[in-house]
Amino acid sequence: MHLAERLYRTSRTGFLAAQVYLSYKVPRMVDRARRADYKRRNLSPVHERNAGKIYRTAIELRGLMIKLAQVIGTRSDVFPPEYIRILSQCHDAVPPRSFAEIAPVVEQDLGAPIDRLFDNFEPRPIAAASLAQVHRARLRDSDTVVAVKVQYPDIADVVRTDIANMTKICSIYERLDPQPMALLPLLEELQKHLTMELDFKREVQSAERIAELFSDDPAVTVPRVYHELSSRRVITMEFVSGIKPTDKAAITAAGLNPAAVVQELMRVYVTMILARGFFQADPHPGNIFVNPHRRGDGKVIPRFVLMDFGLSKELPKGFGYALFNLMFAIMTQNDASAVKAFRELGFETRNGDPSTLLLIAHALNRRAPGQRFEGEFNSEITEELFKTIRENPVIRVPSDFVLVGRAFELLSGIAHTLGARANVLTAMAPPANDPTEAA
Amino acid sequence: MAQESALNFTYEQLLSNVKLDTPLIAGGVRCHGGFDATGYRSPRTMWRVPAIEAWQKQHLATSPVPLIEIAADLVPPHLPSVAQAKLLLKAGVREPIVRMLTEIAIVEGFGATIRDLPVPPMASFIRESTAATGLAHLTGGLFEAHARDEAGWGDEGGHKQMWEAARDIALSNPDVPGDILMMIMGRRSAQNRPPRLLPTLAEPVERLLAFMVGVLAIEVFARSTFVWAEELLGDPEVSDSPAEASRLISYIRSDESPHVEYLRTTLSEVAARTLIAEDGSEIAGREAVNALLERSLKMMIRQRIRERRDQIRSSIRTAAQGKVADVEEFVARFDALETPWEPPAFARLEPVSGAAGNSGQVGY
Repeated sequence: MHLAERLYRTSRTGFLAAQVYLSYKVPRMVDRARRADYKRRNLSPVHERNAGKIYRTAIELRGLMIKLAQVIGTRSDVFPPEYIRILSQCHDAVPPRSFAEIAPVVEQDLGAPIDRLFDNFEPRPIAAASLAQVHRARLRDSDTVVAVKVQYPDIADVVRTDIANMTKICSIYERLDPQPMALLPLLEELQKHLTMELDFKREVQSAERIAELFSDDPAVTVPRVYHELSSRRVITMEFVSGIKPTDKAAITAAGLNPAAVVQELMRVYVTMILARGFFQADPHPGNIFVNPHRRGDGKVIPRFVLMDFGLSKELPKGFGYALFNLMFAIMTQNDASAVKAFRELGFETRNGDPSTLLLIAHALNRRAPGQRFEGEFNSEITEELFKTIRENPVIRVPSDFVLVGRAFELLSGIAHTLGARANVLTAMAPPANDPTEAA
Repeated sequence: MAQESALNFTYEQLLSNVKLDTPLIAGGVRCHGGFDATGYRSPRTMWRVPAIEAWQKQHLATSPVPLIEIAADLVPPHLPSVAQAKLLLKAGVREPIVRMLTEIAIVEGFGATIRDLPVPPMASFIRESTAATGLAHLTGGLFEAHARDEAGWGDEGGHKQMWEAARDIALSNPDVPGDILMMIMGRRSAQNRPPRLLPTLAEPVERLLAFMVGVLAIEVFARSTFVWAEELLGDPEVSDSPAEASRLISYIRSDESPHVEYLRTTLSEVAARTLIAEDGSEIAGREAVNALLERSLKMMIRQRIRERRDQIRSSIRTAAQGKVADVEEFVARFDALETPWEPPAFARLEPVSGAAGNSGQVGY
């Protein structure tokens, strides 16, 4: 990256940070001078304006800024809903790079001109994201159509520069503000995730690990990876197609019951998260296809194609069991068990006070249908959960919990579009009238 | 409301506790129930127990159909036996036992789903009156009390937490196997919902009765689990806290007694009545209950034992690696310690209502 570009990125980011900071700081100082209560001020328009500025800067600078905006868009435990609503749109708004920028990455990494590696490598990408874009191509001398995911050429450098800039900005902010938001841990987490996502070999390993987890389960397939045409910055994989999991009409037309599709998708994620401790952490509708699959006994079941394993996550030992215990305790309104499970998951409160944790548990019950949480993380419940966390002195929310909560929320969003419910506990409960399992 | 003749109880009454002197705390966990001058008192039994007794008395006085009874000799001995479990624990192969105790806790917890069971308006599907019966109180406190007993409520742990506490105090907080939830889910996906037995009956009615029958069978079969756990976790050779762990299991056992009693009472009440099918025809309640009970028992006696044996062997083979010199020889020694038991002949599963004479009960 040229020095001039590096300086431009630094100044642009710094200017944005200063604008956002002052938009909160100045009214606070004014209120203090007037002896007015800052907490009573309606900050919604300020949040909205700032989120818009971050969004526009992210789209212009791309690279880490897009990623950062996407992360903010998922952290409802830290940021107000205005930020979440606006910045979550970054998922669908990434402008693609030109073929001239992309082709050299493929050729450098795979060691040959692109037309000797593939037949008909389409110059126009079929998808573009913050770190890479995907092109359709055909294997040489074959009818096999593949999807080639190519990392942006300068992205590793951009990420390093942006992380350094953001770390400096956050450090200054934390020194200036008497009650700063904990942004540095967010950045550390982002850096950790980005390092993982920029290593495509790791992504391939994650894809194959998920494929192995479901090797005896017909409900899941993972596109085959062509190792000889893959590298640290390029992944060549089988081109897959299917029905978008939010396309109710197509699902029904394929002979599948949308409610059964939702419950089966939930079972797949519950299997990964609660039972296996390793999961594809981005169940965005764009990362999943569903197809009808006829089993040996003739029954047609939904089969999911999972894609994009850049954000796959190994959960700590015991996490799944503790999360299950937490949901179960909240569902059965057992406060003592809920507090125990929160602590096992790594939640910490000031002075070890459990009442905050109970507030979270009670908030989940309050917003659930019938005022009883039953294992469903719809957007209302998740919003209430993270609002309660934001407003109360929880000093540590484990990032794995946030990632899992977001995954369940995304699944609930798919369910909502299909007019069904995605219930975590039902996905794993013994069948209601099976006498060998009910207690 | 204290008089014995009372047959109608409020929701609050069926959930109310006797006055306790000391709460039950196990392994640092506040559990339900507690102690008074007479000893341990199960939760929510102040009115529930006398209510069930009153409904049973009324049923026997007004109906020729005796109370349902599942004969003790239909209940297979626990697998693994105490001797088998001790062999494992003494050899340091703890995981199969930890897994089993954890699974029991989880399945107990899921018992709380009984409160979510859709209960159709039974009076519309039964020819005779159901007023002032246990059946009329299923959603009026009986299911809710059962659910709270299993999964806990408020600050009090239920059977789920009590089984976990018993495991933790007896085996000193063992690591829970990471794949425990996978095993439970795996079993679920392998099973299909059994076909309908009573197709002319409204489906919600059959589903309710099938569920209740299934839970009754499990509760009765769990007796061998209680005997096993009390003996095993109470054995100082393998338990780090024998007295406390075995007492805790005995408390769970006594808490389960009202569950068995209300289920057999309400199912007997159905058996004594006439069910109305969707086409307006009639089905003798006794036939319906017998058919569902027979299927449940067959499934539990045959299939479940076979599955359990396969699971535990597989679990031992994995857990014993590196802990015993010869895994297959160890499995053979394990097998040799199984309590011999033959499933009863199929004929034994036919209703023997006529032979119920000496106990005055319908039996299997």
